[in-house]
Amino acid sequence: MAIDGLVILDNTGRPIIQSGFRSSPPAYPILHIDALNEALSKADRSVDVDPVLYLHNPGEGPSACCHVKRGELRFLGLLSGDTDPLYVFAFLETFIDILKDYFGHLSAETLKENFDVVYQLLEETLDAGGHPSTTSINALKDIVLPPSLLSKVLSVAGVSGLTTLGTSSHPFASPIPWRKAGVRYNTNEIFFDMAEELKGVVNKNGTVAVSSVWGKVHSNCRLSGTPDLLLSFSNAQPLTNCSFHPCVRLQRWTRDKHLSFVPPDGKFILMEYNYTPGGVHHVAVPFALKPLIKCEENGGTIDVTMTSRLTTKALENVRVELYLGEGTTTATCIATNNASWNFDPRTRILHWDIKAVSASSTYSLKGPFSSTIKYVRPSRAFRVQFEIPQHTFSSLKVDQLKMTGEMYKPYKGVRGRSTGDVEWRW
Amino acid sequence: MAGINLEALAENASRLGTRLQETISEHTRDLAITRGSGAGYLDTPEEKVKLIRKQLDSNSDREKLDAMKRLIALISKGRNVSEYFAQVVKNVASHNLEIRKLVYIYLLRYAEQEPDLALLSINTFQKDLSDSNPLIRAMALRVLSGIRVPMIGSIIVLAIKKCATDISPYVKKAAAQAIPKCCSLDPSHQPEMITVISNLLRDRSPLPIGSVAVAFETVCPTRLDLLHQHYRRLCRTLIDMDEWGQVDLLNLLVRYARTMLPRPSVTEDADGQHEEIDPDLKLLLTSSEPLFQSRNPAVVLAVTRAFQYLGLPSETKKVVSPLLRLLHISSEIERVTLAYILLVARSSPTLFSPHWNSFIVRTDDTQRVKKDKMQLLRLILSPDNYQALLREFTYYADDADDELVADAVQAIGYCARLIPESAQQCLTSLMSFIQSKHDAVVANAVIVLKSLVQTSLHHHQTLAFASTSSAYSPLAIISKLAYRIEDIRHPKARACVLWLVGQYAAVDTSLESHRGPEGVAEWAPDVLRKAATFFTKETSYVKLQIISLAAKLLVLCPSDRTLGLLNRYVLSLARYDLNFDVRDRARMLGSLLSGVTSALGEDEHQDLEGVVLRREQVKMVLFEGKQDVSLDVTATDNGRLLLGSLSAVIGREVALDSYLPEWLEEGVESSLRDSEDDAPQLPIAAQSISSTSSPRAIAPSSRNTPVILTPTGPSPSGSYVRQNGKNNWTDLDKFYADAERTEEDEEEESEEEEEEEEGEGSDDGEEEEEESDRDEAASGEEPETDSADEDADENAHILHHAR
Repeated sequence: MAIDGLVILDNTGRPIIQSGFRSSPPAYPILHIDALNEALSKADRSVDVDPVLYLHNPGEGPSACCHVKRGELRFLGLLSGDTDPLYVFAFLETFIDILKDYFGHLSAETLKENFDVVYQLLEETLDAGGHPSTTSINALKDIVLPPSLLSKVLSVAGVSGLTTLGTSSHPFASPIPWRKAGVRYNTNEIFFDMAEELKGVVNKNGTVAVSSVWGKVHSNCRLSGTPDLLLSFSNAQPLTNCSFHPCVRLQRWTRDKHLSFVPPDGKFILMEYNYTPGGVHHVAVPFALKPLIKCEENGGTIDVTMTSRLTTKALENVRVELYLGEGTTTATCIATNNASWNFDPRTRILHWDIKAVSASSTYSLKGPFSSTIKYVRPSRAFRVQFEIPQHTFSSLKVDQLKMTGEMYKPYKGVRGRSTGDVEWRW
Repeated sequence: MAGINLEALAENASRLGTRLQETISEHTRDLAITRGSGAGYLDTPEEKVKLIRKQLDSNSDREKLDAMKRLIALISKGRNVSEYFAQVVKNVASHNLEIRKLVYIYLLRYAEQEPDLALLSINTFQKDLSDSNPLIRAMALRVLSGIRVPMIGSIIVLAIKKCATDISPYVKKAAAQAIPKCCSLDPSHQPEMITVISNLLRDRSPLPIGSVAVAFETVCPTRLDLLHQHYRRLCRTLIDMDEWGQVDLLNLLVRYARTMLPRPSVTEDADGQHEEIDPDLKLLLTSSEPLFQSRNPAVVLAVTRAFQYLGLPSETKKVVSPLLRLLHISSEIERVTLAYILLVARSSPTLFSPHWNSFIVRTDDTQRVKKDKMQLLRLILSPDNYQALLREFTYYADDADDELVADAVQAIGYCARLIPESAQQCLTSLMSFIQSKHDAVVANAVIVLKSLVQTSLHHHQTLAFASTSSAYSPLAIISKLAYRIEDIRHPKARACVLWLVGQYAAVDTSLESHRGPEGVAEWAPDVLRKAATFFTKETSYVKLQIISLAAKLLVLCPSDRTLGLLNRYVLSLARYDLNFDVRDRARMLGSLLSGVTSALGEDEHQDLEGVVLRREQVKMVLFEGKQDVSLDVTATDNGRLLLGSLSAVIGREVALDSYLPEWLEEGVESSLRDSEDDAPQLPIAAQSISSTSSPRAIAPSSRNTPVILTPTGPSPSGSYVRQNGKNNWTDLDKFYADAERTEEDEEEESEEEEEEEEGEGSDDGEEEEEESDRDEAASGEEPETDSADEDADENAHILHHAR
């Protein structure tokens, strides 16, 4: 039960960073990288490569490579023996979050620039036996200094090591593992971002087959000292299947659905939930699609109209996708208003992009497509993705935020945003 | 005035501040460009590489840091830079922490290759072990244990012992992490390491425990007895640990519980089901249950494992919604979780039946996810949800993904077999699929129909569907298929239809007005006619079936001239086929049929030698023996695949290093797990319980009113010890005596047994002793006390007897 090591590949499949594979032969990571690259080049859709790529290497015993793609980078966790792949994926996700927190955004460039920090992070997060060790960002920052302007200045001046020694003399000095000790801010503020995603499938006849809303409460905490917060929602009852940051006192939530916690410093995800309104079975999909697709020999015609069901807000960045089937060569469509469309002959997907679908307005896309195959077989469902800023499906409201343990009065900010990913069958 | 002045001053100051900041940032940007940022290190030109040695020897920290970064960059590019080992080792004692960290990273990679040089650095590390900075102490230990030189084994042991008693939990954790490395370096240190582990287990800080659990699993996985004293405390600490520790510890505790605790039992009587669970097992489950709400999927799975393998059957439903939640985290985690859900669903399919709509296949799902979802939907098919699921399956049969189509059509066939009420509906949709323009749909529908027809005809049962409507009687289905033979292009499906036609072409002609050849269904000869026309263009798989069809029809109706001619035509085409299988089959059937054809006086060949079969015999050969239909079963799981293992995810056994011990018939004595911690008046225990509701350091007031998360109540044995105080507890004789007394009857029984076995040797005596031990274990829960003398007597007697 252990992770053999971690490899980060750039978008050409070349390794940028590799952890030391101490217990395995030098060819071991290369073997996996090659196997993955080969599988990726063979697959029609790169997502169809099994995320747990099994390798039977003769003489070495079985092993597997768990891989995750984030942006242009691909993260590989190698495992041998009967290790739980979920353990590896959980670690990869955590490590990616750490990197994001340290470097802002992830790219091959930033990793190359800060490779020494990445190596130090690897050393701290994954012990030699292949078990994750320190992964709390607040604790890590005591041990491995994030790259900052100050450290750059000092390194140029040639005094970097000394300051490091001074500031990080006490890792785990804080009694709370997720919070640094002695945090000071001039303006004390905390922000809560509620991000909800609607995932649903709508049947041919317009009835909802399944739809569920999954929400995350992102927080950005910039509070001094060790504040003890109590967050209560005005309508927390329909939140089910929640998961929490380790800082949340689970018992309090079970008792009265209040979040009581000492927040970590900086950005973190406070909780995740599933919104299930009582009584109603499904959450309503905020738009309607009227698809009319005729399949003829060597092609067909598409006629889709989209109507917003929202009354006040607009759906933004709407993207409708339809796979037109193998052999499709061209599509020529006409989109109304300020919408655009394009057909990617490589993936054979027709995209229809609408910047904003304002309240109860209607948009349409019409046109023929042609194929080299006699009986065309387009995908049976449209995939519709959209965003609604300043809106939550659950209309979850923060009732109040009480703080104890510190004297100052913090500034609180709450925001909501929603995204959707709906499959509309025709 | 003064106020205004101050304001202006403040404004000026802030302006100056921002200006300064701007200029500084600009300057540093310039500097970064000219000096070359990190990316520059990765593209070090060769001449710079040569400089590294010189830089490492220089006096300037900056030069050294620069050189070290270049080295690490070379490592990450995959170059072997062990040649610099000697120079790097010199810098091990650098005052600059950053240089030191890089040196550590370097040493860990190459120490094994240069053991002699690595020994040079050991003094420094030993000194670092007493450094004031816990970070340095931990790192020194990490590097020291990473140097794989057997010679320094004893130094490492000393270092681990020292660090295991460190004040900083971080260093303790490092000590725990070093233990497995020390043991793999030299297994002779194992006993010492076990002592360290058992000391570390006593530790109050939750931080190192995860690593201790890992060390335990690698160093002494069989010494579960070491955990007795700590079991209850470890259970309660679970919630305060870090995520990874929770996973490792839970897996260890699950193993402990399976080996040491009594299996929860379910008994049924008039009042319904009664479930009995050991309080210690209950403690583990209740203290791990809140972790279902962890954000870390690995933790959720570890808790699921605990409930699945330890919990009562009534509690397994608790795993459902956490597992469903994991499906939404990311596509990779969805893939793995589905594999685990499949595993759970195989043992109890009803758990997930109400949640079928969580497994609706989306077009953007990956191939593997689609396959797993389909398997799962089949598994949870039940009379309650089949309507909805059938609708889904029918919908998937239209999909653009051939594999999904195949799975869906097969699932419909499976449904028809599983739920008789649905058969009618399933057949309607299967028959409609045959009209489809798409090969994949038709081919799969035919194959499924074939197996349905075959089962129903074979079992001579008028399947539910046959009786409800004559349109879907098996023979009607075959005739429909036969009429559509030209539209069925997929070779496998064509072969299926041909086989069906041949096999079931026989009809009782006496019944109805019958056209066409006698003894053969009216549609059958026409199929042969069509097939013969296209014979040369078919694949060999279909050709084989055409020959068989021709032979079968001829046997059924030898008198028909057209059939005879068709048969001869097909056989002669096959005789010159390119494929030797086809040629062989033709030759074989030709000679088999010689008896049939010669009986008609049509034989043109010379007299045949050997045995010539009569028509009835040939019929027997051709038609009988098609007994069982192999049902398309869902992948069977032999119960050896475990939740949380690679084998379960990829669906085959890879290695057997993850195993789950079988339950013991009875657990070990529960009082073994009693420890001082259990006494409620001790602040430590109260603290570890209350910490779930409030972090210790922040709200000391909460200590006064501990909120007990796991109100399991004191176990009977625990209360026994507490009532009697510590004095009685240490009095082993008296303790045994109590046990003997209450279990006297049972003892007598075993005595009798023993008398029977007496002749069999000394081993039996030992067994007897064990048995009586177990009896004592069971009786340890009795809170009775008797006079000591009597007990001692009794005890002596029993012991004597056992010997």
